[in-house]
Amino acid sequence: MKTGLFVGCILLLVPLQTTVLGSISPFGIRPDLCLIAACLIGFLTGQVQGLIMGFFLGFVQDLFSASDLWLNTITKSGVGFFAGLIARNLANAASHSAFLVVAVFSVFSGVVFMVSSRVGMDIGDVLLGFPSILLPQALFDGLVAIAAYWVATRWTPEASSF
Amino acid sequence: MIGRVRPLFLWSASTRRLVVGMVIIALVLLFLLPRQTQFLLQQVGKPVADVVSVPLEMMADVDRGVRNWWNQYIALQGIYEQNRDLQVKVQNLEGELNQLREQALASQRLTALLDFQEESAMTTLAARVIGRSASNWYHGVVLNKGEDDGVAVEMGVVTPAGIVGYIVKVASSTSIALLITDPNVAVTGLIQRTRDEGIVQGTAQGFVRMKYIPPLAAVKEGDTVVTSGLTGGFPRGLLIGQVLTVGEREGDLFQTAHVAPVVDFGKLEEVLIVLPPPSSESTESIGNILTSQEKKPKDS
Repeated sequence: MKTGLFVGCILLLVPLQTTVLGSISPFGIRPDLCLIAACLIGFLTGQVQGLIMGFFLGFVQDLFSASDLWLNTITKSGVGFFAGLIARNLANAASHSAFLVVAVFSVFSGVVFMVSSRVGMDIGDVLLGFPSILLPQALFDGLVAIAAYWVATRWTPEASSF
Repeated sequence: MIGRVRPLFLWSASTRRLVVGMVIIALVLLFLLPRQTQFLLQQVGKPVADVVSVPLEMMADVDRGVRNWWNQYIALQGIYEQNRDLQVKVQNLEGELNQLREQALASQRLTALLDFQEESAMTTLAARVIGRSASNWYHGVVLNKGEDDGVAVEMGVVTPAGIVGYIVKVASSTSIALLITDPNVAVTGLIQRTRDEGIVQGTAQGFVRMKYIPPLAAVKEGDTVVTSGLTGGFPRGLLIGQVLTVGEREGDLFQTAHVAPVVDFGKLEEVLIVLPPPSSESTESIGNILTSQEKKPKDS
């Protein structure tokens, strides 16, 4: 069951991101489903699970992204791992914690992408990524994370004590 | 400390250590040697991409079906179809008109030097857009043709209306094309009326601009920008867009023009991938052609 969920996540999240979300992206911004998944898995199940899932999700995302250098593999692994570490040290976790953690990691990941995708450009063009992509996406990711967190904690009885 | 759900993977301790170790080694290698490991991971990724492309194509079909159903039955059935047909027809005619205009100009100026008909003839492969790049930071599309169909990196992608971008990543059955609205794409362009060249590049805002236009070039709003054919991937004379504004600041060495692309990237459904010409002769640059033409009288 768990392995099926793991494989299903990897096989379906990226296709969902590249097809359906393309049609329903407000202001051209789509939530990064792989980042949200890696982050929440780390947050809910621990840093090792977050690291492994982040690695595979990022790897598949890289295959269907125009970015190079395997940035998604590295950033998603890091996001899953550090989300798990943060959750270990939290006294109480709730949907607003998930929102904050996902939004912060979305900003972190966005900065990495912004710098790498805008190499050699004017600083004005680079910084334009903040209001046009980075911040709206962080907000969007955070909101989707709240919904995903709510679903995850109701599906898994162990998490209902959060 | 918060409560936890059960672990995702119920592995033994040794398997778990092995997997984590391999992931960490892979990450360290990726981090330290990104360029060197890229080829290796691309090879590893090809079968994975093939597997993922199955649900991707299925979802693309479902997405397309839902969108078609919505457009045809919810949003004014007949008008939508008529409008779409007319738009396609207008785009085709614009493309043809532009090709003809370009041919006429080239014939007047370069008939003795170039066989323009031969140069503009291109071999193409039709592909369907099955998705958008999985990252907001790159303006790209996923195409349903890949290495098995003869697609390779740096091939140009066009529609009958004009150029779209070029291929940056290829798997066995899919490929990723970066659009000309992406800042990482640059194509040599030509102002059709004045014959001034420049570099057409995407911007961070998702627009297109033409840089390095000579300072004395009389470029004006509405001028047509076409490919110059000097960079790989695109033959000469393909429509890129029309000049919206020309920015010229005092002290600037070159002019920059904002260009409105002719292709509506939000509604891309089918594209053509430009395959390399069968013989190397047709890839000669203008410089080479001029040189060979100049030599002819001496030879004879």
